[in-house]
Amino acid sequence: MNRLTQSLVLVLLGGAVLRITTVSNEYLTYVKPGFRYFLIAAGAAVLVVGAAGLFKKEDGHRGPWVAWLLTLPVFAIFLVAPPPLGSYAARSEEAPARPVGALTAYTPLTRPVTEMTIGEFLDRAWGDPTKSLTGRQVRLTGFAVPSKKEGRWYVARMQIACCAADAVPLKVAVLGFPSPAENQWIEVTGTWVPPKAGGPQPGTVAPELDAADVAEIPQPVEPYE
Amino acid sequence: MVERLEVPPAAVPPADAGSEGRPASGSWVFVALLCLLLLGQFVYAPYLTSPALQTWSTVFVAICVQALPFLVFGVLLSAAITAFVPASFWIRALPRRAALAVPVAGVAGAVLPGCECASVPVASGLISRGVTPSAALAFLLSSPAINPVVVVATVVAFPGQPMMAVARFAASLVVAVLAGWVWLRFGKGEWLRARHHDHAGFAEAVRHDLLHAGGFLVVGGMAAATMNVIVPREWLNTLAGNLWLSVLALALLAVVLSICSEADAFVAASLTAFSPTARLAFLVVGPMVDLKLIALQAGTFGRGFAARFVPLTFSLAVLVSVVTGMVLL
Repeated sequence: MNRLTQSLVLVLLGGAVLRITTVSNEYLTYVKPGFRYFLIAAGAAVLVVGAAGLFKKEDGHRGPWVAWLLTLPVFAIFLVAPPPLGSYAARSEEAPARPVGALTAYTPLTRPVTEMTIGEFLDRAWGDPTKSLTGRQVRLTGFAVPSKKEGRWYVARMQIACCAADAVPLKVAVLGFPSPAENQWIEVTGTWVPPKAGGPQPGTVAPELDAADVAEIPQPVEPYE
Repeated sequence: MVERLEVPPAAVPPADAGSEGRPASGSWVFVALLCLLLLGQFVYAPYLTSPALQTWSTVFVAICVQALPFLVFGVLLSAAITAFVPASFWIRALPRRAALAVPVAGVAGAVLPGCECASVPVASGLISRGVTPSAALAFLLSSPAINPVVVVATVVAFPGQPMMAVARFAASLVVAVLAGWVWLRFGKGEWLRARHHDHAGFAEAVRHDLLHAGGFLVVGGMAAATMNVIVPREWLNTLAGNLWLSVLALALLAVVLSICSEADAFVAASLTAFSPTARLAFLVVGPMVDLKLIALQAGTFGRGFAARFVPLTFSLAVLVSVVTGMVLL
């Protein structure tokens, strides 16, 4: 790999990172919103190093072959253009992950319909001694995941701490409403179904929601919780 | 990005005699790749829709994108150390006896706020400036695990269990110092590939390290994304009962998942089926040994180095985690 090619690879990579952070919001598919300015700075630095090399004379200095691989993420971003992690990543029927940062104090729900994250719903369903969800309508936003069990499907959302590699699926089972298409983003309004006495331990199966309404919505700008 | 196409390949200056009479073939490969990329958006993109491929791509790009700022930061810092800090500074700053320099460098890891992608180029820069390799390696191991950002993230991820952050700090520092001492006693100079571009200036060092370490980061990202997609986490829960099996299972999970050290505490917190000791092993092993780090180390210091250093760190990390877990958790 000669000097000009090295520079072009760096310009391509830096340009791609700048594109997904400034022109579009695609970076939110991969990382938390807080990464934006770090990514802009890093993309600009890579672009500048590459662009500066374009104006230097060829010196016969061969670059490492492994640098070709730097084009692969660019290909993945623009050719595969992967969507945010969805029902394929959340397909497991096993015990869902417990959300991080469980509350210690649960405020009572007073509004007729409370919008909340799926993480908060799981917290309240599994860990709230005052059972504040009982009889209260809540609205959850997520994507639809089919279930192998009869008469139910899941509304799910991935929770990430840093990037999509550390995503954990948060899932609530929806009862009493036909399943939307897989991966369709939805708002589900419904009431928590308290687990029967003697059932499985809290935190080992997804809590259930008796749905009153399911509305299809476009994918939110920030796909993860 | 279309405008980048306008860089005329015809403007390639004639290659020097050193380039073996293959003028600018790489540039033509690059132009071909770029055409493939632009055409492919219309021709291939509609077919690249398998959910497994898409999930793999999301995770792969996420690992690369997330690591890039840290890598750029590490590369810039490393180049600055090489170009602007005189070698005499390190001789004064570190104790002359290597056995003492190792723990000092290990503790100094606490000041580099970053993840493991930043520490590899920085350690390489330190070695090229005359710092004892074993001390630089102790720094390499400790800095991604004990810096303030990671400690705070661990405290936040384990609410009400502050001992987890304490145990992580202590165990990581002990592993880093032990590994440095073992390397000092048994390591051989020829196992560590020296950097051969010390003469180069700041800009040249940045450029080389970005291309080189960046390429190896992509190798590690591909391996980690593959494991992330194909290893079902349910397998793990069957191992949670047995102490040694569960520790080994989570230590290996930390290796294959290659999660950034600033985020791994949140994943460890979600593995509720496992004992605190097993989760501590996950937190201690992850920043020191993982697929992207192995690729980076092999690329920076040579394969012979990685083949010896990686097993050493992994076994030390597992053992120290178990002991620390029994004492503190």
